Amino acid sequence: MNRRIITAELARNVALALIAAAPVLAAATVTDAFAQVGPFGLHPPEATGVAGWILARQALFYRALSGLIRAAKTDGSAYWGLMGISFIYGIFHAVGPGHGKAVISSYLVANEETWRRGIALSFASALLQAITAIVIVAIAAAVIGATAKMMGDTVRVIEIVSYGLIVLLGARLFWVKGRGFLRTLHTIKSENRADAPKPRDHAHHVHDAHCRHHEHEDADHAHGHDRTLVHTHSHDHDHDEDESVLPWGHAHGPEPEELAGPGGWHRGLSAIVAVGVRPCSGAIIVLVFALAQGLFLAGIASTFVMGIGTAITVAAVATLAVAAKTVAKRVAASRPGYGTLALRGLEVGAAVLVMAFGGLLLTGYMASERMGMF
Amino acid sequence: MLYRFVFLMAALACLLAAAPQRADAHPHVWVTMKEELLYAPDGSVTGVRNAWTFDDMFSAFATEGIAQKTKGEFTREELAPLAKVNVESLKEYAYFTYARIDGKRHRDAFTDPVDYYLEYDPKQTVLTLHFTLPFKTPVKAKNLQVEIYDPEFFIDFGFAKKEAVRLVGAPAQCTVSSEKPGDSNFPASMRLDQAFQTSEANIGMGADFANRITVTCP
Repeated sequence: MNRRIITAELARNVALALIAAAPVLAAATVTDAFAQVGPFGLHPPEATGVAGWILARQALFYRALSGLIRAAKTDGSAYWGLMGISFIYGIFHAVGPGHGKAVISSYLVANEETWRRGIALSFASALLQAITAIVIVAIAAAVIGATAKMMGDTVRVIEIVSYGLIVLLGARLFWVKGRGFLRTLHTIKSENRADAPKPRDHAHHVHDAHCRHHEHEDADHAHGHDRTLVHTHSHDHDHDEDESVLPWGHAHGPEPEELAGPGGWHRGLSAIVAVGVRPCSGAIIVLVFALAQGLFLAGIASTFVMGIGTAITVAAVATLAVAAKTVAKRVAASRPGYGTLALRGLEVGAAVLVMAFGGLLLTGYMASERMGMF
Repeated sequence: MLYRFVFLMAALACLLAAAPQRADAHPHVWVTMKEELLYAPDGSVTGVRNAWTFDDMFSAFATEGIAQKTKGEFTREELAPLAKVNVESLKEYAYFTYARIDGKRHRDAFTDPVDYYLEYDPKQTVLTLHFTLPFKTPVKAKNLQVEIYDPEFFIDFGFAKKEAVRLVGAPAQCTVSSEKPGDSNFPASMRLDQAFQTSEANIGMGADFANRITVTCP
């Protein structure tokens, strides 16, 4: 390949990654802008269409909860309704801001993760959110008789810890992925200097077509791989594709080490804690209300069921993120060298996004929830 | 392949983008408002007297841990510290109350609230926050608009069904109207236990969250 074509390739791949990342960045910026709008400066945003419909639904479900909790005091059958509404409310509710959709999705794009792990992460963090809410209310309200303000302050502290952890998570990803990007860049540069001869390109195509059945049987072929790191990379990606990370792909199932073994869990734990430690304020209010009605257990059950609903929404977004990453990997594999570079660039971008989300949340420019007004 | 990639990334980005927008914010607090505009003898508006009733879940949350002499009831005195916290916290949000005088916006029209207290209704188990926002300078205007809403929509403000807005001591020729623009279907003071039954009627909510009081004095 000559240098000009290579440069064009690089430009195209970088542009592609930027186009893909732009709306997400734009979203962050828009949110930022909203936060800075003066009270009378702008009318509140309009919620029409699908968003408005979901908003209206989830508000209704939330308000129905109080009636159902009251009813459950005298009518046992109201429990079924309470659980049903809690579940649906969880699903609808999580469409709104918060609940770690953005962070988990970005984390999944930055990392080599399977859709299974994406779903596992979503459920684990939603479960943790439910548990934190229950623990806070159980200790604060039921045991020490804390006031709403004390509970609000507790949530505020947990919130800051959570956002701080998200920043750290992003920073760690940025460090790891940034080095990966530089390594790939370096490899490509040194290959350019070596000016790859044509025959090897040809060998590569043969490899693409047949490697699944004749892996490394051909001595020349293996030699070709040893000579350039880039080819090894593209080979790796082909291989990943074989062990499809998509639920609808020609899946042989993920590789054993990719499954959530002890090591696997350890890898995702930081993300689960960072996202899941912050409880949903809605759950806390419902729990306190249930407690005041003398139905704390019903409140706990409702919180867990809500968490399952939340997890489903988050998992749906997470699966999309993994799917997008898988397609990106496929595209990258079809353009050895610069494809890989673009992929690494995308990962760095996602890592930066995780950091940015954490930073915006921490500085209050991006609000996920407010604990009433007190 | 390329198109699929772009398409999928775009779809993902849209989902992510949809997530943090304020329009999708979800309120956990509902406030039913009764508003009074207070007039001086010379016909100028001196302030806005608010009575904000919170929904029963939030009322239960807000009263948690507050000592009470009689179970199920709270006196004004018992609620006094909470009322103080409330009005002090509200300052940060400009009391969610914005004035427009003869078409001109005023970001900072009010001084700190006076005459504030909380009231508990043991039957409905709801709290009502009373407070008066005095104008920094009494307003003499042909057209005064007062809007009450949470720009971030964590609190859903709505007018009470009956006697939501009243003029106190206003010149006879002044007229008042209140509206929640683009949202005529949404009952402002939806009772909680009715929320479920009336759900079909409420689909139109949320087009615009601002509640506007308009006073015209020719």
